Amino acid sequence: MVDMPAQNPQRIVLPPHRERARRPRIVRLREWARRNLFNSRAGTALTIVTAIILGLLIYGVIYFVFVDANWRVITDNRWLLFAGGYPMDQEWRLWFSVGFVFLLIGLTYGTWASLGRRDHLFIVLASGFAILLLAHGGAAIWSTLWYLIAVGLLYAGYAITIRMPREAGPGRTLQQRSVAGLLIAALPIVLIVLLAFGGARPRELEGFVLNLVLAPVGIAGGLVIAIPLALGRASRMKAISWTCTTYIEVVRGAPLLGWLFVALFILDDVIGGELIVRAMVVLAVFTAAYMAEYIRGALQALPGGQSEAAHAVGLNQFQSMQLIVMPQALRISIPPMVGQAISIWKDTTLVTVILPLRELKGNADSAIAQFEFTPDRIEAYVFVAVVFWVVAFIMSRISQRVEGSLGIGER
Amino acid sequence: MKRLRFGLLAAGVVAMLALVAVACGGDDDGDGGGEGRGNTVQTIKDRGELKCGVKQTQPLFGFREADGTVVGFDIEFCKALAAAVLGDHTDVEYVDASDASTRFELLAEEEIDVLIRTTTITASRDRELAVDFAQTTFYTGQGFAVRTDSGINSTSDMGDAIICVQTGTTTEQNVADHFTDIGLTYDPQGGLSQDVADAFFAGRCDVLTADASDLASRIAVRDDAADYKILPQIISKEPLAPGVRDYDSEWKDVVNWVVHGLIRAEEIGITRANVDQMADNPPNTEVARLLGVPFQGGDVAALGFDSVDAQFIYRAIKAVGNYGEIYDRTIGDNIPRACTLNDLVINNSGCPDGQGGIQYALPYR
Repeated sequence: MVDMPAQNPQRIVLPPHRERARRPRIVRLREWARRNLFNSRAGTALTIVTAIILGLLIYGVIYFVFVDANWRVITDNRWLLFAGGYPMDQEWRLWFSVGFVFLLIGLTYGTWASLGRRDHLFIVLASGFAILLLAHGGAAIWSTLWYLIAVGLLYAGYAITIRMPREAGPGRTLQQRSVAGLLIAALPIVLIVLLAFGGARPRELEGFVLNLVLAPVGIAGGLVIAIPLALGRASRMKAISWTCTTYIEVVRGAPLLGWLFVALFILDDVIGGELIVRAMVVLAVFTAAYMAEYIRGALQALPGGQSEAAHAVGLNQFQSMQLIVMPQALRISIPPMVGQAISIWKDTTLVTVILPLRELKGNADSAIAQFEFTPDRIEAYVFVAVVFWVVAFIMSRISQRVEGSLGIGER
Repeated sequence: MKRLRFGLLAAGVVAMLALVAVACGGDDDGDGGGEGRGNTVQTIKDRGELKCGVKQTQPLFGFREADGTVVGFDIEFCKALAAAVLGDHTDVEYVDASDASTRFELLAEEEIDVLIRTTTITASRDRELAVDFAQTTFYTGQGFAVRTDSGINSTSDMGDAIICVQTGTTTEQNVADHFTDIGLTYDPQGGLSQDVADAFFAGRCDVLTADASDLASRIAVRDDAADYKILPQIISKEPLAPGVRDYDSEWKDVVNWVVHGLIRAEEIGITRANVDQMADNPPNTEVARLLGVPFQGGDVAALGFDSVDAQFIYRAIKAVGNYGEIYDRTIGDNIPRACTLNDLVINNSGCPDGQGGIQYALPYR
């Protein structure tokens, strides 16, 4: 034991993998590259080819974004893309809604989660993107200011709620209930702000605003219809279960495109009303069919012991459903639900294809019909794609946070 | 279990009620039913607004300004109609009819009162669809664009050429017919209208074919416009006209005579600037009749339109100016007008042989 080959008696010899980790960073990097990128002739060739392709790709993207592209088609048309035919003198209503929603995001994060370094980075990047867009033309200062106030509200809401104690207690319950209530009431509140008391007519909701209104209505409306539908399908009363099954199978069996045609040509005679309302009904009805199946799947995944235990402690059927079964079922079904929500978010572009409604992509088509911008189609579509991606990414991030805080996937 | 069933039944009933409530929520503005067919003018008046189906993606003809307003050549006729029927050219709801495949259904389903979106009159559309066409507002025809250095001067030079053409349109059928007639073969490259234009400007085809007016506008906007030319040869007729629903002759008459009235106004020199002066002091009986005012203290000539008063053309001119003013304001030099199909017949004396306009107003009396 005494003749251990220790060159340096001060130094403690670690196991080989820890020992390797102690070498200088540059040596480790070289080692990593040799093993992962240049481990054989074929590997080396592959690395070089991939590097060339990647380099060209990155060069191409950078060249397009900073040299080739004419982004004036976007910056000049930001109002058209954002709100389109919404009355310009009512612009404050849009900003009020943006501020309200940002405040809600802050409150929600402060109550149930926290903003990490990545979240701050994302907010900074997204804000940079937004300000690049807003800081042009006549009302640049005001638009930028409004936007910054909205971001300020986000952080204000966060700062207030993050300091409140998280331990269970009457204060915590009140806080959770208030924020949850605000979240539920958010959509009606925003719609009232946009439309009521001298606001716009429903058909004047256009551009990005239309996407932002249609998707939540479809998602929230879908959820409201989906819960009874899922319970109904699982029911033992044949009349109810057949009705619900028929609904689900019929609605899921045809593409959304087809149902939007129904909104245009058939719902007109059935329920009439504004086209945009018919589109909302169709989106909600369509989303519900999918969500009902996710909830049903979650209900079936729950062990039967859950409701038996609920009965055993004296809960009636409704209480057991409300307190034991549904909370767990909804929790399990969050991942597919978010997938459906992102899907319906992107599907809102279909309203322009079928219905005479102009959402973001439709108004981008109008922007490139302006004479000077007719050659700038790619810029317009790239912008639309990025905007859709950003929103879908936010939805995905928030859902990951919700899943994390509910402990889904950790059981 | 009985309770479970009752609970579920209740849930089901609530869901149904919710659906019905949602469904009935919007049904209070009265445009749901199919009633009112055949009397569009009255419908417009009751509503206080003209529903004009327009394209929002067509350069020069129907598109959107940065502030969201709908503008273009076609849009001016919507304003003229609103002014004629309702008295105010801003009482228009511009309904998006950009999608070619649903435009006639929008009309049939009464989502719009009139369709003004670069729609070509054809016999089959007139016969098979629930649409009637009013007076043509813009004449064009299918043309060809080539690179200036290509050496192509007419379709007879296009043997085996690659031709970019929009699929699923009369354009595609026209070019096929034409090459059958002249006994040449060609290589068609199909796509959407903007796609085929991009393909042509990227050099992926030798020839681009579309409405001549469309070609002109696509080339004019380019930095390298001089590298391209449009051949003088035109192989089809594309008269673009407003469409109204079948079996509504009153409304069709109004649309017709508003268009004729605007053309007539240009022929006899009535403009937006001088229309008030002309109405106060009409130089002759025809101007008085057109504007619906008395001539030298006589009676107003009532021309028997039941649903609009005698001054409807006056209001249209006052709102948008005469045909030439509309053309200059919206299309202008982007598609030159002098001695082309859309020039006035009365201007043709100065044109080279074989050229000249065909815009001609029918007698208003």
